[in-house]
Amino acid sequence: MVFEIIDVIISGLINGSVYALMAVGLTLVYGVTKAFNFAYGSFYNMGGYFAWMLLIPVGLIGGYFSVFFVAIPVFFVVGYLLEKILISPLRKHDDWEMKVMMLTLGLSLFMDFGYQAVFGPRIKSLPGMIEGTLELGQVVLFHQDIVIFILSVGGMICFGWLLNNTRTGMAVQAVAQNPAGAKIVGIPKDFIFAATFAISTIMVGLGGILLSQKTFIDPMGSTNIMIKAWVITAFGGMGSISGSLYAAFILGMLEAFVGWHFGMIYVQIATLTLLLVTLTIRPRGLMGRE
Amino acid sequence: MLIAKNVTKKFGELVAVNNLSFEVKKGQVYGIAGPNGAGKSTVYNLITGNYSYEGKIEFNGQDITGLPPHRIAKAGIARTFQIPEIFPSLTVQKSIRLGSRFGARGGLDLEHTDKIISFVGLTSERFQNTRLLNLLGKKKLMIGAALATKPEILMLDEPMAGSNAQEIKSMMELIKKINQELGITIIIIEHFMKVLTELTETLLIIESGTMICCDKPEIVTSDPRVIESYLGDAYAESK
Repeated sequence: MVFEIIDVIISGLINGSVYALMAVGLTLVYGVTKAFNFAYGSFYNMGGYFAWMLLIPVGLIGGYFSVFFVAIPVFFVVGYLLEKILISPLRKHDDWEMKVMMLTLGLSLFMDFGYQAVFGPRIKSLPGMIEGTLELGQVVLFHQDIVIFILSVGGMICFGWLLNNTRTGMAVQAVAQNPAGAKIVGIPKDFIFAATFAISTIMVGLGGILLSQKTFIDPMGSTNIMIKAWVITAFGGMGSISGSLYAAFILGMLEAFVGWHFGMIYVQIATLTLLLVTLTIRPRGLMGRE
Repeated sequence: MLIAKNVTKKFGELVAVNNLSFEVKKGQVYGIAGPNGAGKSTVYNLITGNYSYEGKIEFNGQDITGLPPHRIAKAGIARTFQIPEIFPSLTVQKSIRLGSRFGARGGLDLEHTDKIISFVGLTSERFQNTRLLNLLGKKKLMIGAALATKPEILMLDEPMAGSNAQEIKSMMELIKKINQELGITIIIIEHFMKVLTELTETLLIIESGTMICCDKPEIVTSDPRVIESYLGDAYAESK
């Protein structure tokens, strides 16, 4: 029983770490632009399919190391162009935040049906990054899970460092905290909006590469990921990065315990219950501002 | 130095600024006043590139019409807002350094930012979180961040709003210092006529986006059109 619970906690931590990596990107976009990217789940799938293409049909030398090396700049460009080509023209109109939500919702459906058309309706699986297990007494850890956890936490640490120590990171923080104040100090808001979309696309794409190894790549599975990211963002507090981090690990744990104790069919119900209860009792979430 | 030529801004049917022309000379303290909704802040938003408009605005001989806000800040025009706009998770020092890092020609200048922190009187609060500052402190910080961009013109939007007599005195001294010691041209929107008459050399009065009068403060405050539309008889009698 005790070892089962330890397994559940470990599973919750691993999933929570990847959720955190993904949700922080969505929170960042909301915090900076005040618009919600409903295509986020589809960009998660983009990560999975991108890795699958490079590893299986292309057979890229260097395995996952090469995949990450190629993926980061590609995802950056995709996110940047998404903002510049599709989002930026909308920002000239009134009520543009709502228009962005409608556009990204449409984009999500377009991408999902596109995946289905290109890769077929059947799920695909990614090979594990690393084989083997680590036995600590009666607790058995997969090397793959350990690597996923390390990469997710490492990704967040890198993100935090970039946010606090680079020119662009400081500008992103400034625009998120006070767009008018950012104007006073001459920060180019258009570039920061595009950079924010680019960074968030990297984060969710990497999340897709990491987590798709444990689950599968499902062309219509983006809704499930979108719901998780949405719940984490609302539960943590819209726009609060630290809130999203806490919320991601809490959601990871909740899913692991509900799945273990009640069955996987109840996981999504528990997730959405968390969202509804949060929005009813504390609409600003764990750490959101009024 | 700054010339607005036949500037008009419409929001749908509403004409917020109507064929407005004025010139701010180098080294001046230039005041803008008028009733609420007269279009004063809209004029600021036009100069700083937040809205598109008809007409033309030139700065140092360069046409800045249509430039985005960060390019205008980089060109040497800085502004503040009526409600202090701060970065709540940053310290005073980091907030002011942001101005130097992004707005200033030549990039981050630590020596300059340290001077600015001292100049606006926030040395003892430099490592303090900005959200802990009082109202006057937040206003000084906003001015400091704007000064860190090394502007040639500083545009202040109702810097006295919500301040008590002591704070108004302190802010007026700071504005004079910025103009006289740093040689920065000031444009100021303000409702306190005493502040404007003491600080400014030229005063522009607008109503419904249209210029009513533009002259020396003593002439403007005696103009019957200004008394009728903005100052009221009580002000004229109290003079």
